[in-house]
Amino acid sequence: MRRQIVWLITFAGGLFFLLEFLLPAKAPAWLGGFDNPLTRCRRGVSDFLIVVGTMAFLLGPINLVRAHFETLRRKAAGRAESIVFLAALAVGFLAMALRETPAKRIAAAAQKVLIEGLLPGFFNSSMALLAFYLVSSAYRAFRVNGLDSGLMMGSAAIVLLAQVPLGDWMTYALPDALQLRSLAQWILMVPNTSVQRAVLIGACGGAFAAGMRQWLGIGRRE
Amino acid sequence: MIRWLARLRDIDRRWLYLATAVALAVPFVARGRIAMPPTEPFMVTRRLFDAIEACPPDKVVLIDSSWNMGSQAENEAQLECVVRHLCRRRVRFVVISVGVTELGPEFARQVIEPIAAEAGRQYGTDWVNLGYVQAGGDIKVLIEALCRDLHAVRPTDVHDTPVAQLPLMRSVRSINDAHLLFSVTYSPTADWISLVKGQFGTPVAFGCMTIMSPYYHTFIESGQLSGMLVGNWGAAEYERLTQARGKGTERIAFATYGNCAILAAILLGNLGLWAARRTRGRTR
Repeated sequence: MRRQIVWLITFAGGLFFLLEFLLPAKAPAWLGGFDNPLTRCRRGVSDFLIVVGTMAFLLGPINLVRAHFETLRRKAAGRAESIVFLAALAVGFLAMALRETPAKRIAAAAQKVLIEGLLPGFFNSSMALLAFYLVSSAYRAFRVNGLDSGLMMGSAAIVLLAQVPLGDWMTYALPDALQLRSLAQWILMVPNTSVQRAVLIGACGGAFAAGMRQWLGIGRRE
Repeated sequence: MIRWLARLRDIDRRWLYLATAVALAVPFVARGRIAMPPTEPFMVTRRLFDAIEACPPDKVVLIDSSWNMGSQAENEAQLECVVRHLCRRRVRFVVISVGVTELGPEFARQVIEPIAAEAGRQYGTDWVNLGYVQAGGDIKVLIEALCRDLHAVRPTDVHDTPVAQLPLMRSVRSINDAHLLFSVTYSPTADWISLVKGQFGTPVAFGCMTIMSPYYHTFIESGQLSGMLVGNWGAAEYERLTQARGKGTERIAFATYGNCAILAAILLGNLGLWAARRTRGRTR
């Protein structure tokens, strides 16, 4: 029964947006020329979606807390990380909960430590580490084993050089068509664009099929 | 010699890490900027510049500044150069952070306030920071709501002042009051294009990380995107167009050394592979 209700709400929501999009903004004159009545309700439905979406945010922390408590309970590997996560979550939660109480100064300080002190450091470190992995993976992955990998490496080298002044300095004296920036622009605008579009069309087809299945409840277990 | 070169095929990754660290440390130590070459800027940068130049006095530029420390290395310079241009042209602008990071407004403030103060632009009259808006489940819904009525989505600004009390916001109600939407973030959502440009007809431009830029060239080619700043290179080119020197020009040195490190790694790997093949051929 619960499944049927969920499907019914999904179907009604999908139908609303489909009809709102397909029906003209104004009815023909011979019908009275009235505005599309669904458009008027659209804002309310959109607000409802925002509210439901915000509720879904709770699912993430709840699942994470359960997973980390489970790690601690089973004394599995990664207990230290679980403790750090749970402590940070508890401090963050308390800081938000206490911000309108007499303990608001402590709450603000705790939040400052977490958000302005620790988080930027963690974030910056993890992003900075990417540079090292990037060089290491470029060394291992870009090996010319044939025409296709050669083409890929050649394009990557041209685009990499053209995105820094060095590439321009190397070729700026050459005719326009032979400059690295022109070649990079051509790579990005022609082969790259065609491939991106092909991928996008495929992905959209898949998303449409998945959406239809979801909307019509096809393939659901009864 | 060939045998020695063949050893390049399997360099311990720790040597690569060390080489990367050295390459990235050079611009810090040398403190030198790399001179910009005398070439035309990329077409995508030029288009953004032209779009802002064409802004009429009765319109504003809406900026979605949704970045934090994760993409600060590139997005900061992009926001800085565009804001500097807007202030110089005396174009009014509204800043908002849509659904990516709640730290967005603070990072934007740190960039905008000094530039606006230097240019004598007043908060509330010439620019406004509306703060962060939570996207909930679907960012499309939020973007559409923003386009229709900014005041309803953000009744107060980042300082909790009701937007109706801000002189600038009295003339800015929906996306139709904006000349351009500029979204600067790690990877701007294409929903800006389908809704802001597609549904409301307001031009859209992006500032994104270099690694994300190939995806957006599709929209440049189709004319759906009115311009784009690609990483620090885009910011540096923009600074050259506006004849300003900022973080883009400063940081492109790091990107140059970083890209050189990547190219050197590719070269070494292939040299090693070639040499190893030659060695195998000889021993057969």
